[in-house]
Amino acid sequence: MKKRLSNALLSLLLVLSVLFSAGCLDALPDLPGFDPDINEQIPGGEETPGGGEETPGGGDDAPSGSVTLRNPGATPKPVDPAEHPAYSGEPYIAIDGNMPYFTAEEMVTTSFEYYSPLDSLGRCGYTVACIGPDIMPTEERGNIGMVKPSGWHTVKYDIVSGKYLYNRCHLIGYQLTGENVNESNLITGTRYLNIDGMVDFENMVADYIRETGNHVLYRVTPIFVGDELLARGVQMEAYSVEDQGDGICFHIYAYNVQPGITIDYATGLSALAGEPLPPAGEDSGTDIPPEEGAIDPGEVHDYVLNTNTKKFHYPDCSSAKDMSEANREDFTGTREAVINRGYEACGRCKP
Amino acid sequence: MTVFVCIDDRGGMLFNHRRQSRDRVQIADMLALVGGGRLLCDPYSATLFPQGGPIFDEGFLEKAEEGDFCFVENRPLAPHAGRISTLVVYRWNRTYPRDVLLDLPLPGDFRLTETVELAGHSHETITRERYER
Repeated sequence: MKKRLSNALLSLLLVLSVLFSAGCLDALPDLPGFDPDINEQIPGGEETPGGGEETPGGGDDAPSGSVTLRNPGATPKPVDPAEHPAYSGEPYIAIDGNMPYFTAEEMVTTSFEYYSPLDSLGRCGYTVACIGPDIMPTEERGNIGMVKPSGWHTVKYDIVSGKYLYNRCHLIGYQLTGENVNESNLITGTRYLNIDGMVDFENMVADYIRETGNHVLYRVTPIFVGDELLARGVQMEAYSVEDQGDGICFHIYAYNVQPGITIDYATGLSALAGEPLPPAGEDSGTDIPPEEGAIDPGEVHDYVLNTNTKKFHYPDCSSAKDMSEANREDFTGTREAVINRGYEACGRCKP
Repeated sequence: MTVFVCIDDRGGMLFNHRRQSRDRVQIADMLALVGGGRLLCDPYSATLFPQGGPIFDEGFLEKAEEGDFCFVENRPLAPHAGRISTLVVYRWNRTYPRDVLLDLPLPGDFRLTETVELAGHSHETITRERYER
């Protein structure tokens, strides 16, 4: 139901992309600041949710379970990486005391999702959604290897968990809105950004919605500098509507970095720290076929099995390091063999 | 006293002054363990008990007596470690952002006496571990 509506609304999105092309959406990648008239911040999270202006099909009268394309309203206020500390060991930092910039007018309890069209350089803009149980996925995620987001390079390093430096990072995680192969929702992000910077927040929001049935306003803005093809990071904002932020309230900036790797954000080229970047058109790390985007299920790896939770992990996963010895079993073999033993992949290291 | 806590895979309890997660199955299981005993909590936890039941008091850890049960979401435990006879840990088996961690090492001065897996409402598996001195 949800996907059919999403497809039907895709064409409307395209029309809207033209309408907005000269306005706020195209302006985002250049970090122009924001319109102070439309960014009335929630004061202390105490605002009572109110109805916002919505496009036809939206509003509180919309049938339950529908996906509502809503005028995204207020333009997000993107962070300027130059105004915040450089990466110093933590995957993310809090912005403005973890208070998101949603306006009182944006507080609705009807689910919707919005994905900005790509800009002229093929880069994603912001995404925003009011996520309720009705638009969360009910199926396992499919393959996304055919999407090549801006700055994409398929390159492996031994020092990277899972080997691959870059992941196709969903701006709004699949577990939240089920939006899978949507190029407007996928950026090139490091493994570190994806796993250490974003997934934990997606987990918290997803589990909160599943448990309470409440809605969460959720906005993710990739932060590009100038004409760079690789985002410097992502800005993530979330606020639970029905309980006025009591359950979910955060505003963070997660760094698109990978410890031990130097990255050229203009192109996405990379090298081990201390080594020179490769010439344009070449990659350092380990060459692999360009269409290969997933771990070969027949490749032998070292895994750590948790005999209690029936999850399996890479040995360097923090969950593996914290695991009780009583529940730990070291295993060397193929991914397929682990799964055949009844184990599921860890959601954190995604082996 | 018996203390209940919930943690993620990295020992986290809170992020930005909010619990990392919640699950009605965990609450029901905890109430079943408390039985007819006295359960004390911080007022912050009241939203998890819409039907009431526990005693909500900001000084609950100090006021708890031997034989009482305390559900702790947002308080350090180390200052009260000597008074904890049983520690029941619910593991979400997920990772969440965290800025407050459980401040007691496990097993530390305790010994693990029981591990039970629960099918949660919003969590696939919640692991309940019982530690005793």
